[in-house]
Amino acid sequence: MKYFATTIILATLMVSNYAHATAKAAFEISQNDKSREKNKKIAHELIDGGFYFSAIPYINTYLEDHSDIDSQLESDIETLVIKTGTMAVLNLEEKKLEKFSIPSISLILGTRLFNKEQYEKAYEILSRIPETHKFAIEADLMKGTIKNLQRKHIEALSLYGQCTQKATQQESNAIGEKLKRYYSYLKETCIIRTARVKIEDHKYEEALELYEQIDKRSYKWPYILMDKAWAHYYLKDYNRAIGLTVTYKSPLLESYFFPESEVLMALSYYNLCLWDDSLKVVDHFYDYYQPKADALKDILGKNKNSDTYFLDLYYADPKTRENLNPFIRNLITQTRKQVKFNLDLASLKAAKDELALIKKLKNKNDFTNGLEANLDATIAFIGAKINFYIKKEIFTFINEIHKHSYSMFNLKLELLSKKREEIYNTKSDQLVDRNRGSETNVNRKMNQYFFDFNGSFWADELGDYSFGLKSQCSDANKESK
Amino acid sequence: MKNILIITFTLISFGIHAEDKVQDKKNTVYKYKEYEVIDLGSMEIKGQIMAPGDLTVNERERKVFKRSLLEKNNFDFENKREIENLR
Repeated sequence: MKYFATTIILATLMVSNYAHATAKAAFEISQNDKSREKNKKIAHELIDGGFYFSAIPYINTYLEDHSDIDSQLESDIETLVIKTGTMAVLNLEEKKLEKFSIPSISLILGTRLFNKEQYEKAYEILSRIPETHKFAIEADLMKGTIKNLQRKHIEALSLYGQCTQKATQQESNAIGEKLKRYYSYLKETCIIRTARVKIEDHKYEEALELYEQIDKRSYKWPYILMDKAWAHYYLKDYNRAIGLTVTYKSPLLESYFFPESEVLMALSYYNLCLWDDSLKVVDHFYDYYQPKADALKDILGKNKNSDTYFLDLYYADPKTRENLNPFIRNLITQTRKQVKFNLDLASLKAAKDELALIKKLKNKNDFTNGLEANLDATIAFIGAKINFYIKKEIFTFINEIHKHSYSMFNLKLELLSKKREEIYNTKSDQLVDRNRGSETNVNRKMNQYFFDFNGSFWADELGDYSFGLKSQCSDANKESK
Repeated sequence: MKNILIITFTLISFGIHAEDKVQDKKNTVYKYKEYEVIDLGSMEIKGQIMAPGDLTVNERERKVFKRSLLEKNNFDFENKREIENLR
């Protein structure tokens, strides 16, 4: 233990000394070098010393004035992209970035154009990334998405396939848990995308087989329950669709909110002609989500001009968080599971660490003061960016609730109309005699077992639930649907 | 001489006709029927019947207007959000 502590102290000292030396070298270049490549050299020294965020302004200034990138600069930019993400060339405009065709810049520019919905241009830029480059997986995923959005499914499937294959290979070659997890995430995303294209092409059985490849412990797993439920719904296996949507009620998944799952559940009951059950789900939707939407709207309205409120919520101590509306607490928990949020949070921490390291430097001068000022601005920017991200997530969620409220309203009208017809046709007595669930109504495959549900959710059973309700549809009802 | 006779005869005949007209105008009396019975039941109309004899409404199925319920035609929303959340 003693040796371990000594090793850590020595390593910290060595890192600190090396950082000090590179900062000194960068300072000397800033003072003595009068060449055109001064900023590039300063950036290189800073990157070498681990001052990634401090190097960003120098790289940006250099690229602003030059259009040539040598192999060393390419490697430096790639390191910056890996360490700081999209921040690396944040200050450069798209027209300027377009002139550079190195993979790291192409990935950032392609992502930026995709988010601006300039799909054709984004596809062209992303195609510049060589097939064997490590960024090619993300590029394939984005290119596949573009083709998917354009309904060119054959091309989309091919790109998603390439993405899965490359990510699987990189996952097995990767050293380090984080990198493995990153490639695993990309692989699963591309498998899910392939399955979604299959659903869009009405090949539901094929899609369900693909979803089986996603491990239940994966980050992506809770999200695929909705996709699977839709596939079963279109296969007319409404009992299975209800079983999948009801999984979100398990305590293990309490932080996941999918208003769409309530709509799908109500629709499944509707297709089984169980009007009362469907109406109950519709009413529950309004009772459950309306106050939540109001609470979120309230919190958004009160803090819309703040650049830190939502970030502070994330950093709040457990006691403060306990006092929050449980719904908002869970929404923040869900946001924490997003890749972008975690990357930005890691960037924020790294930038703060870097600032602390610069503040510890012995020889302070105009150069180090400039670095400190730049880092202060960068930290404030990343903080505001994360704050905006959480705000946007909440806003998107409110919109989702409103969108599905409209679907539920239409469904309720339809249900009331069906119930009225039933009264007119004096068939309401049928409901009294209905059989509330039986194993005979459960569709099972050869590899699926049957167990009764006794009121408690078991982790290994999640995602495999099915109801056993008998359809109450008469021939007349079937025809009218 | 012959021409004179023809003209004289024509003038005389016009004169007689004009005198008759004045006399007719003076003697005409218009009188309306005081009472007339029309027996519609006994009237007969010959020909083919082109329209139904009485007014009826045929029973037909009530038109049901279907409201648009949620359909999942694509995953565009989810796919775009995934890319936004990647970097």
